[in-house]
Amino acid sequence: MRRLAKVIVLGVWLLITLFPLYWIVVTSLKPKVEIFSMPIKYWPGNVTFEHYADLFSFADFGTYLLNSLLVSLVAAGAVTMIGVLGGYTLARFSFPGRGALMLAFLVTQMLPLFIALGPLYLLMSDLDLLNRLAGLMLVYIAMLVPFATIIMRGFYERIPVALEEAAQVDGASRLVAMVRVVIPVMLPGIAATFIFAFVQCWNELFLAITFIDSEDAKTIPVAMNSFITQYDIDWGSMAAATVVSVLPTLVLFAAIRRYIVEGLTAGAVKG
Amino acid sequence: MSVGSARPAFTTRKARFIALCLLPGVVFVVLFTYYPVIRGAIIAFQQYNLFDLTSTPFVGLENFRAVLAEDRFWTALRNTGTWVAVSLFFQFFLGFGLALLLRRHFRGRGLYQAWVFFPWAMSGFLIGLLWRWMFNGQFGVINDLLLRSGIIEHRIGFLATPGWAMTSVIVANVWYGVTFFAIMIMAALQSVPRELYEAADVDGASRLRQFWHVTLPHIRPTLALIVLLRIIWILNFPDLIYSMTGGGPAGSTDIITTFLIQQVIGGDYGRGGAVGMLVLGLLLAFSVFYLNATRFEKAR
Amino acid sequence: MRTPLLPVFAAATLVLAGCGSGSSSSGEVRLRMIESLTSPERTKLIKTLIADFEKANPKVKVELISPPLDSADQKITQILQTKKGLDVLEVRDHTAKSFSNNGWLAVLPTTEWAGWSDLTELAQKKAVEVGGKPYLIPYGFYERTLFYRTDWGMAQPPTTWQELYEAGKKMTSGDRFGYSFRGGKGGADYVVQMISAYNGEALNPEKSFFLKDKRTIFSTPEAVQATDLFVKIFKEISPPDSVSWGYPEMVQGFTSGVTGMLIQDPEVIKTVEESSVKTWSTAPIPKGPSGYAFQPVGYAGWGATSFSAHPKEAVKLVQFLSEAKQSIAFAKGNSLIPISKQAQGDPQFSQGAWKAYLQAQQDPKQVITIRPVDYPGWSQFQVDSDRDVQALLTGKKTTAEVLKSWDAFWTDQAKKVS
Repeated sequence: MRRLAKVIVLGVWLLITLFPLYWIVVTSLKPKVEIFSMPIKYWPGNVTFEHYADLFSFADFGTYLLNSLLVSLVAAGAVTMIGVLGGYTLARFSFPGRGALMLAFLVTQMLPLFIALGPLYLLMSDLDLLNRLAGLMLVYIAMLVPFATIIMRGFYERIPVALEEAAQVDGASRLVAMVRVVIPVMLPGIAATFIFAFVQCWNELFLAITFIDSEDAKTIPVAMNSFITQYDIDWGSMAAATVVSVLPTLVLFAAIRRYIVEGLTAGAVKG
Repeated sequence: MSVGSARPAFTTRKARFIALCLLPGVVFVVLFTYYPVIRGAIIAFQQYNLFDLTSTPFVGLENFRAVLAEDRFWTALRNTGTWVAVSLFFQFFLGFGLALLLRRHFRGRGLYQAWVFFPWAMSGFLIGLLWRWMFNGQFGVINDLLLRSGIIEHRIGFLATPGWAMTSVIVANVWYGVTFFAIMIMAALQSVPRELYEAADVDGASRLRQFWHVTLPHIRPTLALIVLLRIIWILNFPDLIYSMTGGGPAGSTDIITTFLIQQVIGGDYGRGGAVGMLVLGLLLAFSVFYLNATRFEKAR
Repeated sequence: MRTPLLPVFAAATLVLAGCGSGSSSSGEVRLRMIESLTSPERTKLIKTLIADFEKANPKVKVELISPPLDSADQKITQILQTKKGLDVLEVRDHTAKSFSNNGWLAVLPTTEWAGWSDLTELAQKKAVEVGGKPYLIPYGFYERTLFYRTDWGMAQPPTTWQELYEAGKKMTSGDRFGYSFRGGKGGADYVVQMISAYNGEALNPEKSFFLKDKRTIFSTPEAVQATDLFVKIFKEISPPDSVSWGYPEMVQGFTSGVTGMLIQDPEVIKTVEESSVKTWSTAPIPKGPSGYAFQPVGYAGWGATSFSAHPKEAVKLVQFLSEAKQSIAFAKGNSLIPISKQAQGDPQFSQGAWKAYLQAQQDPKQVITIRPVDYPGWSQFQVDSDRDVQALLTGKKTTAEVLKSWDAFWTDQAKKVS
């Protein structure tokens, strides 16, 4: 009985979770007339890939994909690196200003970033970083560094200091000890931080639409935002774009799901 | 200071190491977060409208006064309360339930998790679009399903009717957020030392009593922290509403952050800044209150 | 510190710096141009015109920026504010005043340009409407017209708002609705249009929010009648979703066969022609009880920035786009009322769906007005009035409350201007 109930509950929840995904896929495969036709069809009468083709012919979706990928990879990589170093210092040393720094990092999570948009826009203009992927990367790094640093500190705290000390006794420098001994143990945490940062960058909308309007520097969210507000909301292409843009994160997520569940929680919970 | 004579070298080295490790992070945060935020905060005290920048005099608290005098601000504030409280309630309990069901290993659990957790990878913007399409008053699948199953007789303009619009965005938000809660709570559950359960088993405690007397007290501090982070996060999360309703109809799904975005996008940076400062004050006050109330310090 | 840290940072910085979109440094001139009333078809058309320009001026390359319609003017303002990175822009009747106030627009030369004398009188007038100087050259005009289904049992198009309501009532059943209502962004425009029509002869067309006796149009009992009918039209003959409909949704409502009537600008002619709706026609916009209809003529045009690094080429591009061949192509492609005298003989602008415009032009009671766009509170009112309309439609405010606040607002504005 109990087992059956459990299976049913889990089954229903799976259905609820997956239905929207199913629906967006179905919508993306329907010809335009079917999307707006009255008894709603739960499976396309004529499966078509025209919306996907449109993405890459009319809209320059290939470029957007590459831009998103580049920005997310570089920013997430840099953030993780900075987090690895910063988290280490915060976990292993006590020094004046440590508490204040932690607080300053924590508070950034509460700051309403939108009031910064105007001044940030002017700053980026002065630095000649508007409409450049590099500009977006820099802002994303800044946005995610506090989180990455704090989460990393949490991971370090779970690793016994003795581990490094043992290595250091053998004559290795602090940094070498860190790289050789600590990092391997930290790998799940590092992976989780990287993925988290990657997903955040991949999905980020408001900063991107503020700083990017050149076609050749658009990321996927920027491009999709211009789809919705254009005067014909083309749900077919929109659905196709959604599917395409979710795929990379989905694959990444599935590949290292275990790390995420272990890693994110451990770090964030401790934070 | 003969004792310390050997130390300076070491200390300088150490200090340099610390400084170098922290420097990049600090530089980024100062330059791209604190500097613009502080500039933005100063603008809150200026008359600063994009459409007329020929004069931007300091006007004291005028922007704050104007914002506080606006009905829409108070509506947004009330909506924020509903949005956060109701979303949180369902996210928390559904997430908790899911975490409990997934706690013990069963065949296919990994696969199940992989599928159930996928909303986590999507952006709020996309989730909003997805549900906007499903809640569509004419061609929306939700209306169709409800009609077919006989629950309703006429299509409902979910995103067009003030009461329904709020319900709709909350449904989408719950759908999105349960996963995250489940992941967090699962981890918290796993942090309970096995010995505690073993001890309880020896005492012959029932499952429910175990949960109540062993599990819950142990994960309580963690839960309190997760909930706080979640509250801050939901409150600062305008993406979903932005793409689903844009705060409409008639401001009925405006929360404080979508209201803020409208001020900024509308070009009135002065008022936008004022709203931002109010949000920040509110969050800080709430966090302090909350941490005290849950006695976070002690738990830690 | 013998650490690889520094090199690592240096490398990271280099990677970052290298990611900028490359800058060209050959002899060519790069112009950046931004549009405001973006739509996919229109963007394509502009791109072909630009390609022609580039062909005629091989040393010039133009980059077109197409921000999403909803926030385009804010985006343009934001870029203008930095005073760099923009050469040519779309200026709308709404934005011309604030852009020129801030000193962002260049005064365009009209004397040594042959194209100027080819512009219609209206186009020349509108070019210098703000501040008496040509800050923009209009590319076309927008005037509303009524689109209606001929196969939904309506013999004659409605000529008054009351008839529109009654005709819509007959069309509304099940999944069909009579009218493509606009309750979202820009919705207030429509109630203002109805209020204007109901005020009839008393209205002052030169300052269309005021009556000839200086009171506001919102202060009269006719305004109440009009507003009540506006709400009734929403509640009884329009889709409930339309409370948040803006331009795209209302057009889509008509082209997808959900609604039977639509009041919109001429560029929709093209959209409807390409849709699956085949049986439709156009008529002049409905009138009020006393037989008058009022509407402003909307316009937008091309301008050059005052801070452009290549002012000569920027002006050249604006002039190129405004010359007969290009401007007629643009007006045709978007179905706009053209700015070139040469278009007056063109059959496309007097046939089919365009007949309604000719009909309206010949009717002395279809009056063209000027809105108080140069009043300081104009943009504020745009934002506030749309909100008020939604509040009205959802029952959060009453007709009396809304009209009273609008009356107060414009009475106050009148004091500020005089």
